Parts: sequence; structure tokens; C-alpha cells
Amino acid sequence: MTIQTELPGPAQIVTNPDIITRIRRAALDTGTVLWRDMIRTMRQPDQLAFAVVMGVFFLVLFNYVFGGAIGAGTGIDYLQYLLPGVLVITALQGAQQTSLGLAADFTEGVNDRFHSLPMSQSAVINGRTIADAVRNAVGLILVAVLGIIMGFRFASLGGAISALALSIGIGYGFSWLGAAIAAKVRQPEMVGMLSMFWLFPLMLASTAFAPAETMPGWLQPFVRYQPISAASDAVRGLANGVPVGSDILLSLVWVVVLLAIFVPVSVRLYMKVD
Amino acid sequence: MTVPRPVIEVRDVHKSFDEVEAVKGLSFSVNPGQVLGLLGPNGAGKTTTIRMLTTLTGIGAGTATVGGFDVQSQPDEVRQLIGLAGQSAAVDEKLTARENLELFGRLYKIPRTERRARVDSLIAQFDLGEFADRPASTYSGGQRRRLDVVAALIAEPPAVFLDEPTTGLDPRSRTELWDTVRSLADDGTAIVLSTQYLEEVDRLADEILVIDRGQAVAQGSPTDLKAQLESDVLEVHVRDDSDIEIARDMVSSLDEVIVDAEARQIDIRVSTAVERPLDLLRRLEDGGVGISHFQLRQPTLDDVFLSLTGSPPAEDEETNE
Repeated sequence: MTIQTELPGPAQIVTNPDIITRIRRAALDTGTVLWRDMIRTMRQPDQLAFAVVMGVFFLVLFNYVFGGAIGAGTGIDYLQYLLPGVLVITALQGAQQTSLGLAADFTEGVNDRFHSLPMSQSAVINGRTIADAVRNAVGLILVAVLGIIMGFRFASLGGAISALALSIGIGYGFSWLGAAIAAKVRQPEMVGMLSMFWLFPLMLASTAFAPAETMPGWLQPFVRYQPISAASDAVRGLANGVPVGSDILLSLVWVVVLLAIFVPVSVRLYMKVD
Repeated sequence: MTVPRPVIEVRDVHKSFDEVEAVKGLSFSVNPGQVLGLLGPNGAGKTTTIRMLTTLTGIGAGTATVGGFDVQSQPDEVRQLIGLAGQSAAVDEKLTARENLELFGRLYKIPRTERRARVDSLIAQFDLGEFADRPASTYSGGQRRRLDVVAALIAEPPAVFLDEPTTGLDPRSRTELWDTVRSLADDGTAIVLSTQYLEEVDRLADEILVIDRGQAVAQGSPTDLKAQLESDVLEVHVRDDSDIEIARDMVSSLDEVIVDAEARQIDIRVSTAVERPLDLLRRLEDGGVGISHFQLRQPTLDDVFLSLTGSPPAEDEETNE
């Protein structure tokens, strides 16, 4: 419903919008915030560089430093094992940047203006997570190209595309975890520290860099089923042309679980005023 | 003649943060074309008041409406009627002025053709042209503040809130901003402007609300308030510590005096008749006070506060929650 106002300014204002109007406006706002975040992304190439550098760092370090030992110990071609894991880890770096970007909006005061505008408040996080997924796609392609130069071989183009898509998907799920942390603590330094708490254990106690069998028995159940392992195994299967249905399914379940928890939580935390 | 309906109505609003009462019962209303000046020192509750009225923080107790909509229960409607600038809101540093205006215009759902025209006319009207296509991070303080205020105007909202818009600005930028606020009010916008500067509310406000520690200590038109304060301040600087002690005894019977022993300075409110200040100086000198220099000046915010509250303004930091 719209009301004609007697006041100067907007000729009419929207009151009690129906669900269709709300969804339409939320989609419009998400598009607007996405446009804004894409401009920011392009003006801050260092963010993309940072995400890619971490991937490159892991790829080069693990392949040339530990590759020999792990390859000899397990009899696998380590680069074919490693690259898919590095793709997943690179996507997680992107999730961390969702956190940092949103926290920066709080400290710069832009979020205060957003809060005062007649817009869908969830659009701020929605737009940002999508923008970060787009940046992730670029970063992942760069890491994949480096892998190919180092000698990695995707089994097929379809395998390459689905491997990248799944990596982006898991990164997107974790972006919402990052958003929830940022909406809660609202300070970049704190956000950076807190991100380490979930990122490092999940990253190192996973099958991203080494098979679960090489790890202590008590740790193996965690290592096998946690989201980064699930995603690494699934991406590895896709990239190497031996997709494993259960790995892909488990990864997708993790993405759904992350979204189911952190979409409502982060939006609620973001909108919270004191 | 019809009586204008106030755009902004505030009735007895309160706000506490962790047991500390930041705002203790403010009431005011602002009609179309009026400027309400919220005058007070840091920590007086100006920012908290503006944040409550712009839906950035909840209203503790009391009611506030904008355009007839309740700020607490109808924030979505209120947000369509307000523009916010100043300490509480920022622009995107990585975006240019044009992109920022486009961003906020899109979020206000202004149709594309109208939006483009509006962005262009605002850039021309407020002289943003020379820097409109550079990222905001490269702007000077004055340029950024101007963009900040213009960003609040993109939707031509009937109610505009300006939270210390001129703090930290050079005199020229300040004057330009004053012109902006004035012309905005002339176009019928209801404006709430917070400031620490007496001169600013004197120039701009139709109604002034002086607040200290979250409470209104005076309310009225600039003329009313100045009538209450129609006297200058005699600022006397004495030679050494013994002089300040002698002087303190001599002036202690006067009504409005601030003695700053450390600075060896005494501020005395005097009537504008010239005899009185001369008389005072003569008495001080006859009493053996060594005067190094003195001046007669206009009352500052500190003097206003002294006069209204009997004590200098509180110095604690603004509760920026």
C-alpha cells in the first residue's frame, strides 16, 4: 500500500508492503549492494591478490617442500592430490574477506547510513557474499592456472568447471559464517583474530593437504567428515575425473547447513541495535 | 491560515546505555522549514538523540514520530522520510561522489531517470563537480563533509538530521555548509542540527535546545536565549598565583564567575554597560591584583552553560553507542 504524504519530499511512501513487494525490493537492494561491492573489489586489487597469494603460497610450499615425502609415503601423485585442496582453502580465504569487509563497513560508518535507509537490511550481507563469491571465482581460476603450469591436469573441462563451482559454493557457505562473526564483533582486528580460530584448525586438520590415513587415529573421524575435508575430497574427485557421489553430497549438505544457520543469524546480528 | 503539522515530534525520550542515562527526557517538535539546533558539549547526548530519531538505536522510553510514523514501531516508513549526515553516517570511501549518490539514490528506490537528473543537479548545485569523479578517500575534510550532507538530500526527504556537520571544518567550508542548510530549510525541509558552536545555532536555528548531560537546560529561539545571556564576558589574566587568590576572594560575591587558577584566568559575566567592566578592573587593581592583560568578549558555549546550569559543561566523551 502506498500513502500520499502532505509533506514535501517523496510524493508517496510504501507502508505495510506485501511479501512480493518485499522480495522485489530486497532483490533490487541486493543488486545495488552487489554493484557497490564489485566497484570496491575492482578498486582494491590487493584483496584479490591476498586471496590468490595464500593459494599460491600453499600450492608451492606444500608441493615442493612436503610433496616428496607425502608422495613417497603414500604412492600418490601429490600435485594431483594437492591442488583441489588448495582451491578449497583459497575459497575459504575469500570467506574471511567477507568478514573483514563487513567489519570495515561498520568502522567506516557506512553501515550506519545503510541502517538509516529504506532498504532491505539483509541486502547488505547478501550483496557482499555474492561479490565475494565472484572475486573468489577469479582467484580460483588464477590458482588453477598456476597449478596447470606446475603440471596439474584436470581430467576434463566439465570436471574443472564443477570442481571450481563446488569450491566457490563451500566458500559462499563460509562467507555467511564470516558475516555472522563480523556482524557480532564489528571490529576488523577482532574479526581477523576470530577468523583464525575456525580457519586454521579446519584447514590443517583436513584432507586438503594430506590424506586422513596419515593422521592420528583419534583425529580421523573429525578429519574425514568436517566441511573442508568433504569439499576437498569432492573437488579432488571432480578434478581428477573420479567423482565420488557421497563426498559431493556431504559437501552440499555442509553448504546447506552453513547457510541454514548463518544466514538468519548474521542478518539478525547485523540488524541488532542497542 | 493553517497551522503546520510538525514533521518531527519528540515527547519525553530517554535512553540508557549500561545503567548510564545518556538522554533524560527530551521533548521538541520541528515544523516544515524549521531548523532545530541541538546545542551541547561532547557527552551531552546529541548524537544519541539523533541516532534514536534515525532508527539507528532504540528509543529507551517516550515516543518520537517522523511524518506521523512512530520511529520505534514503524522504522521502515520513517526511513523513507529521513536523511542523515554527520558524525553518525559516512559515505563509501572507495566510491566517487557520483557513485555514492547513485548508490544511496538506488537504495531510496528513486527511478533511474529521475535519479540521474537528481545526482547531476545536486553535483552542480553543491559544487561537487571538480571532485565528483574521484574516490571519496582522496577528499579534503570539507569536500567529504559536503558530500556527506548532499548524500542525505538525494531523496529530498522532508526530515534531515545533521549530526555536528561542521565539526573540524575550516571557516570557509563551514559558511558554505550553513548556506546549504539555510536553503534546505527555505525549501520546506525540517532539520535537526546538532552542534557545539553557539554561533552556528545562532545563524541557523529557529529554535534552540541546549542540552547538558542528557537534559534540556534551555529551550527557545536564539533571540530568547541571547536575551538571557545579554552580557559580555570580561576575561582577566593575572600575573601570579598570589594574585589569583586575592582576586578569587574579591569576585566570589559575583554571580557568574569562572576562576581558573592554573591558567591564572578569571571570566566574569558583565552587563554590556561599559562602566561595569572598567569598574571591576579598577576594583581588582585597587585591591592589589596584578593584572597582566584582559579582554571583553562575546559569551562562548562555556559561558552559556555556566549561566544556564551554574557549572561549566561536562567534559566526558560522547556516548557513541
